[in-house]
Amino acid sequence: MFIDRLLNSGNAPVIEASARFAAARHRLLAENIANVDTPGYVQKDLSPAKFQSMLSERLEERENSGPGSVGFDDLNAKIENPTAGILFHDRNNRSMEQLMTDGVKNALYHNMMMELLKKQYSSIELALKERPG
Amino acid sequence: MFDSLDIGASALAAQRARMDTIAGNVANINTTRNERGELAPYRRRFVVFAPGQAGAEGRPGVHLKSIELDHSPFRKVHDPGNRDAGPDGYVQYPNIDLAIEQVNMMEASRAYEANVTMMETTKAMISATLRLIA
Repeated sequence: MFIDRLLNSGNAPVIEASARFAAARHRLLAENIANVDTPGYVQKDLSPAKFQSMLSERLEERENSGPGSVGFDDLNAKIENPTAGILFHDRNNRSMEQLMTDGVKNALYHNMMMELLKKQYSSIELALKERPG
Repeated sequence: MFDSLDIGASALAAQRARMDTIAGNVANINTTRNERGELAPYRRRFVVFAPGQAGAEGRPGVHLKSIELDHSPFRKVHDPGNRDAGPDGYVQYPNIDLAIEQVNMMEASRAYEANVTMMETTKAMISATLRLIA
């Protein structure tokens, strides 16, 4: 389909995958904050660094193959249980400062992706519009 | 992304229940009799949280698992003139320490605020996504 090819070329699918990642991570961070006083709860997180390296690998793959043959929809980061520096006996690595900072950073990242996506779509819209006058 | 809001809401409900328990403890700090008027000092209560939403443990969130009784010894005050004093002249008061309750209350209110902030962030993210359409 023409419109499919139009929407799946360039940066739009990459930005979409990043926004999906940010939404998934936000959900886990919200869960961690909700369970900050739950004894024995093991925190969950997605690693942005690992996701970005997966993304850049996939981008390189796309450069070296035909258009439309490499997609980003199946790009899934694995849920991790960070255990570094646990200070509590119940193995719940609660740190409100860390969680809130991660939450804000992640939300800003998501907003940035949304702005970029909006720009992408508006330039496609501009291209599709009839020439004025 | 809407279930991020449900996670926040479940945490708000849990922290609110914790706050109610603390308020009950503070209100009953000098209660020496039970609701039937028998001599039985009030026992301190505390909440235990567990992951998963109330009624649907498979869904992400938090819920109040149980309210437990604190079995530490009662506070004893020497007051032989008191109607509730034992044969040794001591009155048994609830095992509630105001400082502990105060600290727990602050923890609960901070956790409540953190969850509200997270829900605000979720709302901002959802509206940013919705603005793509407009």
